Amino acid sequence: MIRLSGRLRSSLIIGVQGIRARKLRTLLSMVSLFLGVQAVVVVQTGASLAERSLLSESELHQGKDGTLLMYLPSRADTIPVALDTLRGRSDAVAVTSTRAVIGEPGVSPVNPGGNPFDGTDRYGGGYGVICDNSGCRSINGPADSQAPPGAAIELQLIGLTGDVRQFRPYRLESGRWLDFSSAPSLSPQIVINKQAAKGFARHRVPAEMRIDGATADPTPRIIGVVDDGGYQPAAYVRTEELLNWLPQAALGSGDGGGLQLLLSPSATAVEQTLRARLLAGGARAEEIHAEPVNARERAARELAIMRWVFLGMASLVLLIGVAGILNVGLATVGERIEEFALRRAVGTPRSLLAGIVLAETLLTGLFTAAAAIGFGAAGLKVLSAVLGDRETFLANVEFPWQAGVAGVIAGLVAGILGGFVPAVRAARIPIATVMRA
Amino acid sequence: MTPLIQLDAVTKTLKGQGRPRDILCGVDLTVRAGESVAVLGRSGSGKSTLLSLIGLFDRPDGGRYLLNGRDITRLPERRAAALRSAEFGFVFQRFFLLKQLTAAQNVAMALVNGQGWLPRRKRRVKVLAALDQVGIAHLAKQKPPKLSGGEQQRVAIARALVREPRVLLADEPTGALDTETGNLVIGALYAATERGCGLILVTHDRDHAGRMGRVLQLTDGVLTPATARAGV
Repeated sequence: MIRLSGRLRSSLIIGVQGIRARKLRTLLSMVSLFLGVQAVVVVQTGASLAERSLLSESELHQGKDGTLLMYLPSRADTIPVALDTLRGRSDAVAVTSTRAVIGEPGVSPVNPGGNPFDGTDRYGGGYGVICDNSGCRSINGPADSQAPPGAAIELQLIGLTGDVRQFRPYRLESGRWLDFSSAPSLSPQIVINKQAAKGFARHRVPAEMRIDGATADPTPRIIGVVDDGGYQPAAYVRTEELLNWLPQAALGSGDGGGLQLLLSPSATAVEQTLRARLLAGGARAEEIHAEPVNARERAARELAIMRWVFLGMASLVLLIGVAGILNVGLATVGERIEEFALRRAVGTPRSLLAGIVLAETLLTGLFTAAAAIGFGAAGLKVLSAVLGDRETFLANVEFPWQAGVAGVIAGLVAGILGGFVPAVRAARIPIATVMRA
Repeated sequence: MTPLIQLDAVTKTLKGQGRPRDILCGVDLTVRAGESVAVLGRSGSGKSTLLSLIGLFDRPDGGRYLLNGRDITRLPERRAAALRSAEFGFVFQRFFLLKQLTAAQNVAMALVNGQGWLPRRKRRVKVLAALDQVGIAHLAKQKPPKLSGGEQQRVAIARALVREPRVLLADEPTGALDTETGNLVIGALYAATERGCGLILVTHDRDHAGRMGRVLQLTDGVLTPATARAGV
């Protein structure tokens, strides 16, 4: 072990001496290698950012990895069973969706169909369009879609039995999130998403909320704004407060219908209990869908091909850099024949001579990797500062450590590949060279 | 007392592109600790080949080579490297100093060779002691291009001495030096024998050879004691 350590130290000392003696050559080797390592760093950075972006979207829409998603049919008997099973639990949340309009009664909302406010015109009124032999015409929406336009905003009202942010990390933009520990209020507290906030910023509407299937129109209180990654206006409300105005049977009557449950990976008992109770209540097994969120694997799968294609291209660029190191290495060994022969004469083993050359190329590779990583990190910082406001995935972005590791590996691999042949040649230099000189 | 070096009927044939040529034809040589031996001979007579066999750069084709009574005729390269480091010091006609390193770093080259490890401080003490032995400790920080030929050769001798070898092999060490500087260098080499180191000096210079304890002549691959006709 001590012997190995001595050889390692010797090769490093002599390698550093060699680099210092040939600074320009080392610099030229680094230049030839830089683009290759930089390409690997950029590809890995891009892949990490894309994965982060995909994961972030997926977490907002589906849930964090491992979350169990259950879909229950919208039947009169399933919703009470589900709400009863989940009551008081923090490791599972039921999500219902229904349509609501906030504003003047008896008018058509400014965004019929709950469309985004930026695209109201583009979507031509918000409801579906069917085309047949006689041409295209819009499908009639709810009754208020035929009413005259007025100061009202249509949105998706999402009822929650608990804090859903443990599964879907909605980012609070302003105000506060729903408080599930307090007694439910008759005036429902709602947290709107950014899309809905845009609407309320542009249009002044009265605080009266009409909910599909509700017995009366409550007065909502907007307590906060979240970024939920959604493209349509939505509002989040405690299910308990919603049930003050809405019969249980009307829950989950919105788009997609049914009831969605988010369960933490450890809540297997809840899942089993719920499944058993629903089956006992007459639900068919095939109506209950459950699947764990596996976004990371899916994102990795989606990105894998692209990542490998780009890494392949980066490797080609890296190979050109390796050829540069190899070329310089061979020329250097050719110039140092006498030095290596002399080193052998004073007892340096062949393996150490090879080690010296490899140490030089490895150090060159590492220096290049450090430069490429530094350049990449600085570039990303500049990109984030310049484009961060426009591209959300670039906002406050950190240089991914995977890119750093990839850069170091690329530098080391290039060092080994570029130094291998020169190292073998150095080890084979005949010792008698010093006698013949 | 066991001889330091003992060659028994050592032969060496060079197999080049042409006809194989017998360089050494049964060389016998014995060198004891503290003994100095000069080897004279015409160019191409095999003096350097003999030195390269003794210094384990090459292996003999026939005969036997004992170092301290131990047969090392067919030593594998890995162990030969360790022996070169531990037992031998080499001085060549050309100094073979690395011009980018200081005199001290050039001397330290023999210590940083993968054969054991010395901490920097101990290395420095040894290097300065070796440079002091040849009288140039004050030039430790100078780089070779700033040194005279004699000083450079003395740095090379210090490099050979720094591991305190038992055998010093010098291949025409004064070939590139003037007479006065050559005498200084031979003096530095001879001084090593007073500390018990065996010295084998290959030279063309009969005056320098005459300062050694024994003078041998290599003629037609055979080593014989030098005669008065040889001028020694």
